[in-house]
Amino acid sequence: MDSKIHSLDHTFVFPLITKELENKCVVWFQNSNQYSILEPLAAEIILALSQGKEVPRIAQQLEKELAVPLEQAMNFVIDLRNIFVTPDLEAKSPKVYKRYLYSIPKDFKLTKYYLINTKILKVQFLSQYEASLIHPKFAHLETTTHVYPNAIFQIFKAHNLLYLLMNTELIGSWDKNEIHYFQGKFSMKLIETMYGKLEDQWMGIFHASALSNGKHSLLLSGDSGNGKSTSLALLQAHGFQCVADDFVPIDIEQNVCCFPSGISIKKNSLKTLLPFYPELEHSAEFYYKRLNKIVRYLPPNELSFDKTFPCKALIFIKYDSNVGFEFEEITKLQTFKRLIPDSWISQEPKNVSIFLDWFSSLPCYQLTYSINEKMIHQIGCILNNDL
Amino acid sequence: MKNQNQHKDQNISRKDALHKIGNYGKYAALTAIGTYILLHPKKAQATSPADPGSGF
Repeated sequence: MDSKIHSLDHTFVFPLITKELENKCVVWFQNSNQYSILEPLAAEIILALSQGKEVPRIAQQLEKELAVPLEQAMNFVIDLRNIFVTPDLEAKSPKVYKRYLYSIPKDFKLTKYYLINTKILKVQFLSQYEASLIHPKFAHLETTTHVYPNAIFQIFKAHNLLYLLMNTELIGSWDKNEIHYFQGKFSMKLIETMYGKLEDQWMGIFHASALSNGKHSLLLSGDSGNGKSTSLALLQAHGFQCVADDFVPIDIEQNVCCFPSGISIKKNSLKTLLPFYPELEHSAEFYYKRLNKIVRYLPPNELSFDKTFPCKALIFIKYDSNVGFEFEEITKLQTFKRLIPDSWISQEPKNVSIFLDWFSSLPCYQLTYSINEKMIHQIGCILNNDL
Repeated sequence: MKNQNQHKDQNISRKDALHKIGNYGKYAALTAIGTYILLHPKKAQATSPADPGSGF
C-alpha cells in the first residue's frame, strides 16, 4: 500500500506521513524530520491528533476499543501528544541561521579541473590544505581541458571555518568537526551539476556502496570498517560495475545514480586486492591520523557516469574472518532502524513518501563472509534473480 | 511519563532507541501499544567521518 501524505490538507494541525511497515506503522513528522516506528493504533491516535481531534474524544474511543479505564486512556493520549506532537510543533518555529562575514580570497594557490561525463568542474583551493580534503578522491577525473567550466567552486578556510562557494554564491561554512558535512555538500553540488537535478529532485543519499550488472543495482550497507569498499572493489574485479562508494545518491525516480569518486581502499585490504589491481602498489597513500586510517583511492573501471539503475536489494555486508559465509533475509524494520540514522533523506513531503514506498518494497539481506568467491557468487545471484 | 531508553541491539543502535510510553501497570493493552522507536536521519548530506587534518 502506498504511503499516505497527511500534509497537504490545511485542516491538519501538523503535517505527517504514515506508512505501514510489516506489523508496525512508520510516521514521519515534517517539522522535526523525525521518523517514528509505532504500533498501528498509536499511529492512528497521532493521526487523529494531527487532524485536530480533541484528547477526550480520542480517549473515549480508546477506552471502548481496549476496554481500559477512561483515565488511563486519557493519560495515554496525553503522553502521545507530549512525546510526538508538542516537540514537532516546537520544531516548526523558524530557525535562526548564523551568518558569517567573509571575503573571497584574491589568491587561490591551486586550481584543478575535473571532467565528469561532458561536464567540466573548476575547483579553486586556497591552499594545499583545502585541496587535500577534496582532490584525492577525484584525482582520476582531473583534466587539462580548461574551457567553459559548467560550475566553478571556491574552497577556502577563514576564521576557523571552511567555506564553499559555487559560482560565487556561498553554499555553506563548516567547522573542523563538520568536514564530512562539507564533503557531503560538495558531493551534492557535484551530482546536481552532473545530472542537472537540484536538491529537491533527489530522494536521498545513503552511506553505502553501490554496484550494478548494467541493468540493476544493489546497495551494500554496513558500519564503517565492515568492508563495504573492499567488497565493492572485489566485485568490480569480477565484472560488476562500481556505481558509487560511500556516497550513494538515489533520485526521485528511485534510481541509483553514479557517483564518480574513487573507491577508498584501506591499507589492510591491499593484500586481498593487489592481485586484481596491481596499480594499487604505487598509488598515493593518505594517512588520516585522527581516524587512524591509511587509504589509497582506486578509480572506478567505468568512467562514464551517466547511467542510473533501479535498485534490486539492500545488503548489510560484513567481512568477518571467523565466518565462512552466512546469508539471510532480514526484516524491513531491522533494516529501517539501521538505515535511517546513516542516511540523508530529502525533507520534501512527496520525496519522503517516495522513499517510504521505495523502501517498503526493497528486499533486505545480511551477508557475512570471509570466502570471497561465495560472496561474489551470491551478489551475482541477487542481481540476476537467481536466488 | 516515563521514558526508558533501551538499546535493543548493540549492532543496530547508534541513535535509535526503544522507548515505552508511561507505565500502565495491569493494563497490558496500553503497554502493548506504547512501545515506539525514534529515528533521526542526517541533517544534511555527509560522507564518512573525515579527518580535518592539520590545517585547522
